[in-house]
Amino acid sequence: MWRYVLKRALLAVSIIFSISLITFLILNVLPGDPVAMMLGEFADANKIKEVRHNMGLDLPLWQQYLQWITNLVKGDFGSSYFQKKPVLFLILQAFQYTSYLAAMAYIIALIIGLFMGIIAAVNHGSWLDRFLMSISVLGISAPSFWVAILLQIYIGLRFKIFPVSGVQTSIGYVLPAIALGTRYAASISRVTRASMMEVMGQDFIRTAYAKGLNPFRIVMVHIFRNALIPVITIIGADIGSLLTGSMITENVFNIPGIGKLLIDAINRRDIPLVQGGVIYVAAVCVLIYFIVDVLYAVVNPNIRLGDK
Amino acid sequence: MKKQILAVLSALAVSATALSACSAPTTGNVPDSSTTSGEPSKAAESTETTEAAANDNTGSERKVLKFGQANAGDGLDMQISTSSRAASIADEITESMLRFTEDNEEVPVLLTDFPTISEDGLLYSFELKQGVHFTNGAELKASDVKFTFERMFTPDTGAKSTAYFKMIKGAQDMLDGKATELSGFEIQDDYHFTITLDYAFAPFLKNIATSYADIFPEEACRAAGDKWGFGTDLIGTGPYKIESNDDSTQVTLVKNEDYHGGEVNLDEIDFIYYDDDQTKLIAYENGDIDLADLNASLLSQYQESHGDEITAYHPLGTAFISLNLKADYIKDINVRKAISLAINREELVDTILNGAGVPATSFLNNSIPGHDDSLPVYTYDPEEAKKLLADAGYGDGITIDAEVRQTDQTVFAALQGYLQEVGINLNLNVVDNATWTSDRTAGKIPVTGMTWNALYPDGDFQMYNYFYSKNSDAQGVYYNNADFDKDLDEARVLTDETKRAELYKDADRLLSLEDYACIPLYYPQSQFIAKPYVKNYKVGNLIYHFFDVDIDAAAKAQS
Repeated sequence: MWRYVLKRALLAVSIIFSISLITFLILNVLPGDPVAMMLGEFADANKIKEVRHNMGLDLPLWQQYLQWITNLVKGDFGSSYFQKKPVLFLILQAFQYTSYLAAMAYIIALIIGLFMGIIAAVNHGSWLDRFLMSISVLGISAPSFWVAILLQIYIGLRFKIFPVSGVQTSIGYVLPAIALGTRYAASISRVTRASMMEVMGQDFIRTAYAKGLNPFRIVMVHIFRNALIPVITIIGADIGSLLTGSMITENVFNIPGIGKLLIDAINRRDIPLVQGGVIYVAAVCVLIYFIVDVLYAVVNPNIRLGDK
Repeated sequence: MKKQILAVLSALAVSATALSACSAPTTGNVPDSSTTSGEPSKAAESTETTEAAANDNTGSERKVLKFGQANAGDGLDMQISTSSRAASIADEITESMLRFTEDNEEVPVLLTDFPTISEDGLLYSFELKQGVHFTNGAELKASDVKFTFERMFTPDTGAKSTAYFKMIKGAQDMLDGKATELSGFEIQDDYHFTITLDYAFAPFLKNIATSYADIFPEEACRAAGDKWGFGTDLIGTGPYKIESNDDSTQVTLVKNEDYHGGEVNLDEIDFIYYDDDQTKLIAYENGDIDLADLNASLLSQYQESHGDEITAYHPLGTAFISLNLKADYIKDINVRKAISLAINREELVDTILNGAGVPATSFLNNSIPGHDDSLPVYTYDPEEAKKLLADAGYGDGITIDAEVRQTDQTVFAALQGYLQEVGINLNLNVVDNATWTSDRTAGKIPVTGMTWNALYPDGDFQMYNYFYSKNSDAQGVYYNNADFDKDLDEARVLTDETKRAELYKDADRLLSLEDYACIPLYYPQSQFIAKPYVKNYKVGNLIYHFFDVDIDAAAKAQS
């Protein structure tokens, strides 16, 4: 078991390292010069050259990368070119908003998704099943900005209970969390239904019914628990993408989270902030998948046995 | 059915909020918006709100204006930012020595009167008003003004708009790192100082009335270092001071009780950042904000439902096709003329812009002295355009590359259609701002869209930095006409405004009617939307100022 965990951890670190290299290279071949952006409309070629030199942007690429990665290992992410604040500070600040939104969105998604999935599986083939699954198709296909605007207009404007934008108060998170959670709820419900159906067809379930066990207990303990593995995978992936920010939802609802921070940084070629942000996103994803891998091993001993 | 589902969803969401509310991150010191928000729809809520507001304010009605706009994102230090949105906030806090009113008239602010100018136009003598205090308590002195200008020319500051001030003697030496003091700035006593210029420069008096010359308190500014302009680190002599600022969602300003210019109308202005225009307008409808700029793309949508609340204004700018005069085909004046003849400007303004603009008659904006009011709108004659192209040997059609930013995409899609008709295939490439900026500076863009605004009504501001031979290279234009340069040079040193206007008229003719060095399209119109209880609001040019605005508290309570 520990060997398995160690192997996964080493893999995780090397993935982050590779991503740092790829990001660095991409940012350097991208058109657009942060110095031209910084100096404004009166900058001439000489001035740009001078500032590039002062910032060390004219050094060979490998040297710049080495400098950056050395600082990174020391915990120094650099400072934003435009906001003049440490990158780490900006990311952590944005992370507060994103993580809170992600948590709320996912709680909503889990409650609705699992509930819908279980009901649909138990009643599979019935009108209720078909109805719930068509709703879930709608939920997966509806673009989140569209859901967001509908919520703003039909819930926010009409009922005046939830703010239409801004997160000055925690109630401001409700509409964005619903907008963001809808799609996840839909996919959770479909995966839950499918994997429950698979378990339901197996012999031990028929035996359980034949033994006359309480049907509710059969569904919740025997079927649902065994159906959880695919659900955990999708939860892992979902949380990864939620924690790395949802640009559109954050933008529409005016939430200064990771997605918005990164898009603004990319638009301005705020290179230290983009690099730091991508490392953050990569680290979160890798960490989540690492946890999922370990959880797999805990839930299903076959996986760690196969490793030996 | 859908409503029911949404109701269930929101009910679930409420419980989720309740569960995790204790850990919610809220923004800095921003007050809870529910106690001050504008227009609750239900009567019961309305009473509650009024009561809450009354309790907050020891009986008297507090006047709070909430203004929505996008976040410029590079701070409020106007030496470093060039954004008019940043200036809208900064100008309420920090002041320049002179400024322009919303009627574009220049008035003294921190000075007892306009400075006196020596006969040769080189020496400006200033007298500061006495007893003006920054909001941190420090008194405004000549040393603060000197510090402000020296800070601007110190390379480490990274000031962007030095071009408007570097005619001050010694400025270039500071910019080059050869000096640490501004030799052209001499202090006589705490309230008297002189500025000497390298050469006579008539618009200098106007340049020091822009946001770029806002005066900072030496001690506080030095202490803040490169944090100046972020958070609450911006202190000035203005009518408002920063109460809170998280740099990302909202800036709250409160009244400066000791304002040297007299009683300030509002108790508080909240600048709330909305990067999404649609969201901003929904927030406006919801009463979260009282006032917002209204993008032309949303104009027709809101014209119907909120027509009475929309006010149009005309910034001192010109939207034009900016050309690289060294590029293939473009270097041929017949091609440039043909492009101009191919475009129906009146139709463009009426349809694509929903009427939000005035079709151009020349480059110089129609409110700037020197603009020739007798000129007709540029001729639309596609047949003549085809003939010109055929005569120039391009009868079989040509392909020209254009690179534009997203803001210009719609207009350029229309231009593409016009040009197609006369045999010019405009190969349109839409790129992001950063790519565009570096490509343009590098002279890689043959054709692009541009709106060039003047901060005050003066031909020099609109023409010199873009088209003067020495400067047009950095703009990727490469215009070089000795007669045009001569007009601008002469106008720069003259103080007689009538003579200056004549010179700009001639320069404008050379630039846009003879050389076709750019293709003017229209003089833009912008608009804002304001609740009926927002009184005396007016915008004279680019920057939103809040000097005269007031709120009719009684009308607001009723709405």
